[in-house]
Amino acid sequence: MLKRFYMAFFIILTIVPPVLSAQSPMETAKVHVDKILEVLRDQTLTGESGKQTKIEKISEIAEEVFDFTELSQRSLGQAWSQFTPEQQAEFVSLYKKLLKNTYADRIVSYNNEKIDFGKEVPLSDTTTEIQTTIGTNTGNVPINYRMINNNGQWRVYDVVIEGVSLINNYRTQFRGILANNTPEGLIEILRKKVQ
Amino acid sequence: MKPMKWICLTTVVFLMMVNLASSAEETPKDSDRYAEEDEYAQSVIISDPIEPWNRAMYQFNDKLYFWVLKPIALGYSFVVPEPGRVAVHNIYDNIKAPIRIVNNFLQFKIKPSGIELGRFLINSTMGVVGIWDPAQDCFDMKPYPEDLGQTFGHYGLGQGFYIVWPFLGPSSVRDTVGYGGDLFLTPTTYLQPAYVPYAVESYRTVNEASLHIGDYEALQKAALDPYIALRDAYAQNRNKAVNE
Repeated sequence: MLKRFYMAFFIILTIVPPVLSAQSPMETAKVHVDKILEVLRDQTLTGESGKQTKIEKISEIAEEVFDFTELSQRSLGQAWSQFTPEQQAEFVSLYKKLLKNTYADRIVSYNNEKIDFGKEVPLSDTTTEIQTTIGTNTGNVPINYRMINNNGQWRVYDVVIEGVSLINNYRTQFRGILANNTPEGLIEILRKKVQ
Repeated sequence: MKPMKWICLTTVVFLMMVNLASSAEETPKDSDRYAEEDEYAQSVIISDPIEPWNRAMYQFNDKLYFWVLKPIALGYSFVVPEPGRVAVHNIYDNIKAPIRIVNNFLQFKIKPSGIELGRFLINSTMGVVGIWDPAQDCFDMKPYPEDLGQTFGHYGLGQGFYIVWPFLGPSSVRDTVGYGGDLFLTPTTYLQPAYVPYAVESYRTVNEASLHIGDYEALQKAALDPYIALRDAYAQNRNKAVNE
């Protein structure tokens, strides 16, 4: 009996931790996309209140799988270092809110599109790209998720839709604004935008 | 319109503008170098020497969308259910097959060119003038979209600079010339009387808009500067199309 207990203990110690921590980027992406699809297809959530619940649930999933600090840092590029730590923190939270307001709202209008997972293309030692295709009624839309390894956990830091990288698109805008504004000025513009 | 005269004229204008563009590209080069030092930056940059004109045209198109196109498209989608509008989209897509066949061929993408030809033959017949896509559904023949702008890009020609056309929207020097060239490969261009091609194109625009209500609104909502966001998205998207 005791021997069996030790056996089980040993098995749990050796097998479980690697299974818990070492989720591949592909698995991470699939798990979270499935979670989002589950929310989108939830028949019990209808009407305006159902839509709000869906947006909330999707935001929670996004919070898990996105690395918003990495995403913010890469969106600002060099300018990131000109922000004080407090400004950086506020920037991350406002930017996250902006993305949530616009994309979560947009995503809930989709429900019957088909998602195919394609290849995984490593970008560097710590980053990789998961390629997916969404089948819409007027053709296929390629959507790629760029992920970074944060202490063994893969997190999304960029989404590339039809070749258009989210962080590159925002970087061009931020750069334009920072050419005429201070970091505080940019934060003020973001505040007004998400208010 | 005499085709030969048109071709000569466009060639001259095109060469002039590409020349202009190569001198105009000096300015963004500086910011490019700045970007290269930036470990995160891999942006595709398109030069925009005529930004005041472009911003004015952007405003024009914006108003055109909200005041004219969107109301018409909404009314139209009320009358024609979605499957009908998707069918119209597919028929137009099929009509434009010559553009894809020829441009794949011009880039020596012989197999894709043949596949596009096969798709056109199968979808025009089995797919009933292109309403359905049995080529993909039954024979696994995927489309290979290529246009003349991409062909120019394939042979190393840059975008030139960004141009926003009234009614037509975002483009570049290269893609404008490409669009003009592709019109010769668009069967509807040759319809008579002369106003018919415009009517066809207007109807296509309304039909497309009806299938994408909310996309432009989302871009506006997400962007801090929608003009820049659209310009950058255009440049990135075309860059990807050329590199494929």
